[in-house]
Amino acid sequence: MTVALEVRNLRKTFPGVTALADANLTLEAGSVHALMGENGAGKSTLIKIVTGVQGADSGSLILDGEEVSFANPLEAMAAGIGVVHQERNVVREFTVGENIALSAVPRRAGTVDWRRVWRESKRCLDMLDLDIDPRTPMRELSAAQIQLVEIARGLYRSAKVLLLDEPTASLSNDEAERLYTVVHQLSAEGTAIVLVSHKLDEVFAHCDAITVLRDGSTVMPSQPIADTTHDEVVSRMVGRTLADLEVEEREVDRTATPALELADVSTAAGHRRISLAVHPGEVLGMYGLVGAGRTELARAILGLDRVVGGEVRVEGKPVRIRSVRDALRRFRIGYVTENRKEEGVFLLQSITRNVAVTVWSEISRALGFVPGRAERSAVQAQIEALDIKISSQDQLAGQLSGGNQQKVSLAKWLAARTKVLIIDEPTVGIDVRTKRAFYELIWRLADDGMAILLISSDLAEMVTLADRIVVMDQFIVRGVVENTHDYPLMSAAVMSHIHGSSVEAS
Amino acid sequence: MKRIISANNLLLVGIVVVGAAILGMATSGQFFGPVSMTSFFRFVSVPILIGLAQMITLCVGQLNLAVGAIGGVAACFTGVIVTSWGVPPWIGALVAVLTGAVLGLANGLLVVGTRINGFIVTLAMSQILIGVQYALVGTRTIERKAWPELAAFGRSDILGIPTIFLMTLVVAVIVALYFAQTVSGRKLLASGGNASAAQLAGISTDRALIVAHTLSGLLCGVAAMVSISFLPGVNTTVGGDWLLPSFAAPIIGGVALAGGTVAVLGTVLAAMVVRLVDAASPIFRFDAEVVNFVVGAVVLGTVALGKLREVQASRHASRIRSLRAEAALAEVKR
Amino acid sequence: MSRLSHAARAEIRSPRALLVVLIVVLVTTLAILKPAFLNGPFVIAPLLTTIAIFTVVGLAQMVVLSIGHMNLAVGQLAGVGALVMGASFENLGVPLLVGLVLGVLASTALGALAGWIIAKTGVNSFIVTLAMSFTLLGLIPTLYKSWSTGQAFTVSPAGFEAIGRGTFADVCMFGYCGSNAVPLMVLPALGCMAVIWYFYTCTRSGREVLMTGSSVKAAELSGIPTARRTILAHALSGLLAAIAGFLLAASTGSFTPAIGSEFMLSSFLGPILGGTLLAGGLVSIVGTALGITLTSVIRKGLELFGVGLETLNVLLGVILLAALATDRLRLLFARRRPAKATESAATLAVELEEAEAHR
Repeated sequence: MTVALEVRNLRKTFPGVTALADANLTLEAGSVHALMGENGAGKSTLIKIVTGVQGADSGSLILDGEEVSFANPLEAMAAGIGVVHQERNVVREFTVGENIALSAVPRRAGTVDWRRVWRESKRCLDMLDLDIDPRTPMRELSAAQIQLVEIARGLYRSAKVLLLDEPTASLSNDEAERLYTVVHQLSAEGTAIVLVSHKLDEVFAHCDAITVLRDGSTVMPSQPIADTTHDEVVSRMVGRTLADLEVEEREVDRTATPALELADVSTAAGHRRISLAVHPGEVLGMYGLVGAGRTELARAILGLDRVVGGEVRVEGKPVRIRSVRDALRRFRIGYVTENRKEEGVFLLQSITRNVAVTVWSEISRALGFVPGRAERSAVQAQIEALDIKISSQDQLAGQLSGGNQQKVSLAKWLAARTKVLIIDEPTVGIDVRTKRAFYELIWRLADDGMAILLISSDLAEMVTLADRIVVMDQFIVRGVVENTHDYPLMSAAVMSHIHGSSVEAS
Repeated sequence: MKRIISANNLLLVGIVVVGAAILGMATSGQFFGPVSMTSFFRFVSVPILIGLAQMITLCVGQLNLAVGAIGGVAACFTGVIVTSWGVPPWIGALVAVLTGAVLGLANGLLVVGTRINGFIVTLAMSQILIGVQYALVGTRTIERKAWPELAAFGRSDILGIPTIFLMTLVVAVIVALYFAQTVSGRKLLASGGNASAAQLAGISTDRALIVAHTLSGLLCGVAAMVSISFLPGVNTTVGGDWLLPSFAAPIIGGVALAGGTVAVLGTVLAAMVVRLVDAASPIFRFDAEVVNFVVGAVVLGTVALGKLREVQASRHASRIRSLRAEAALAEVKR
Repeated sequence: MSRLSHAARAEIRSPRALLVVLIVVLVTTLAILKPAFLNGPFVIAPLLTTIAIFTVVGLAQMVVLSIGHMNLAVGQLAGVGALVMGASFENLGVPLLVGLVLGVLASTALGALAGWIIAKTGVNSFIVTLAMSFTLLGLIPTLYKSWSTGQAFTVSPAGFEAIGRGTFADVCMFGYCGSNAVPLMVLPALGCMAVIWYFYTCTRSGREVLMTGSSVKAAELSGIPTARRTILAHALSGLLAAIAGFLLAASTGSFTPAIGSEFMLSSFLGPILGGTLLAGGLVSIVGTALGITLTSVIRKGLELFGVGLETLNVLLGVILLAALATDRLRLLFARRRPAKATESAATLAVELEEAEAHR
């Protein structure tokens, strides 16, 4: 088997963070190679270097036996490397064909040779057995179709290597099946495919080899899939520090009135008949893949979206939450967002303001006057409680590390003495040690009586933290499972709910 | 073809027809007389050109507040070189166009080089250029007897239609073809539509911005040339009232503020609508300022409507999701 | 490190310090080159009057910049306020305070309307206020024509002239009278500065406005009623614009349609030179006043040298560009250093942007 692409000892650092320390990967032509790792392990950086978006600090890329380095995405494309990113990236105002041909539009004397555009793009669409007219406006396609068009775009310059980043994240089961059919077709024709995914079952079902990254280094180098197990992959991904984590066995009093309960709730965002209950002191996990509707459900609970059916109950009483302010002040519900930099902290504001923002309405006096000392002492209490590393409260949040920023994002809810906390993907982009500190923090909060609704797409994290796991998919609840903290069993149980069939644990 | 026969364009054509009919009736047909029609088409040329100039900056997601100032400086500079330096008028006309392009280029380079918000850059430039315009002509007016050939061109017509209007239409067609057929034009639209997708495809969004601002300035230069040919003279007032019409035409014509689209026919039709409202003011005897009021209100309404349509689109997506959810629920129950 | 020395060091690095230095240098140079500059009642007093009026204009834009928006209708809002005030003085014969309140109410309401449209429809503040400015540009002269004789209101109620032309020489206590170089008009300007300073530094709404300017999404998710704060910021803008219009009318003695027509450029220059962030989230009241002072001194200096107004405009445009470019240039010439606690928000903003661009 020929080696299509080899990644050797790749290293890349940014100011303050090492994205890649020592990445290695051997990709054989015609194989489907999985690239796995936790969030922050370095997968995106590796992809960016291979596709020419960024350059590496050291290490080498060897394509078809020759060492290459790409100054920009065009060079990578010309060398035969195609990519389909996780986020859709098309020009909606253009047609399908023009999007496919965007990187090298066939031209004649400065004008677009439309006939060739349609012909070339049709060729790519045919390669994937896609029955889409290249003249169709992009706007008329569904999200799944757009993704397939992006694959066609990845093939436009006859890709030797095709990288797919979380391709089935927002696809239905049927659409995912369709996608893998295409993937196998391409690999049969000789294209080498790198599949970045966190879905273990899909990886084991469809891939030939697997490479695992952790903290920027390869910890499982190009292993044939037949030679490894779910368990081994997971333990390589999470590493010793987390795998050895003493999981707290906690007592949760389920007879008490739930702090927050949803009874047959349907929302304007598209949820149907959601039922779940979080009790004080409980960590209720909401597991699902991207697009399952969990963040949207959180937004509905917070009043950012309308509840159109069923009842939301706080401490047993039915309520109507009209805004985030309502949720916070009347019902003491808080929300730690997944998008920390844009929604969780105010990067250009001081720590004081970042943490005190939720308590101003409480501590303000006549004419809206906010007493400075009360403000700072309330903030100081949280800084100490969460052990946030700052040099002064006047420091700007944007100057802190990711882990400390996340703590600041959390601090404002603790300052406001919330009783229910919805935490959305808390450890994205955070190093392993801080992750562990976070887990212990979450347990401590629960022990103090907080009801926690934990949203995460990281099954290992979920299995570590949650007392019970609500499995969501496509905006409905598929099932609720009691957490035994046994990863293979839980993984099987959760997946069986998502795929609607019973799968034997391996 | 589908894009040309869009709902928005049909609506605008309808408004033009109805508006013209109303004016025709109010003037007992005089509005459609040769003198009135010629004058109408002559005076709609500049609004069309500056509307297209603004449209080009809008399509890459930028704003050009210096439309009037660029035109004013181009016109006055030409006036000065024709009278003081004896440059032949036709060369002068060419210089007007080139001056516009150079000033537009300056805008583009500043925006890209300093990474400052395009609004502020063009705001500052417009102030600078207004000063330059004053420095060129001061308080005097350079009269059109200094360029008889251009003035004759401005008065001329072909089969009753003013030549400058025909020229404007040709320019409009060229602009439309530029965006529909040339690689450069498509690159501008890609940059405005989705900058990151464009960059990943190897398109330089910086270059697109510079090209867009340069072309915008160029069209302002053409508008300046047209102004020189039919105005009694050039002075500091040239370009002074160009800002609102330059925005009104593309916005009412259906150009998205976020970038990525152009609407040449819509812009032309919208410019005609605004011109009709202008023409109505002496007929129905309301002040010219009321025109400003009406146009301002219509722009507001158009933009608000556009946002409403976006909201509806997202509601549609939610509805699809809930249908899927129902189907999934049914599956689980089984 | 104590909070005080922290603050002191931050102050020294801020643009305000540079402005103070520039102003002092300019004033000294002008005084030396043109001794006429130091003429109290004929040069300094009008200069301070201009500074007072345009400081309020700058504050009117600053409050909108604080939320991350722009108000292109500042001049026209001032004009509407002036129109309503003049009409109430002349046609309704009301006393000074009543007319002032009526005019302020009108502009505040219009500002709030603009804020409401922006909050409800999500349309860019630039477009909404641009459209509003032209709408008002059409409305104002029309109403002047129908409500007044001769397109201006000249009836001045009691106290009007005192505010407009009076100086501290008219204020005497314990036998000492103030200087005739300092107009009474600095009082309303200082008053506005104090109130706005209090708003942003001490109140909850002011803080929430700044947070909304920093990040609308984060503000929403933190429980801040962002729509209400948007309306508040725009309403405040209208309020301050009306006051500026009133002060201008008082200084000239009459209410005309031209009031507000010269406000736009200064309204941006003042805050931006003074360190207010265009993107929102950070304001400087003192900086705005200093920025206005600098541009007014430049204008006065050019006047004394007989240089025309146009050159001033060119200069101001260049200064605006330069002021905005300095943050970028500073980053270009500075070496990469670890973030210090005294780093300003402006520098951090640029750093974060560059980091994003390279990701």
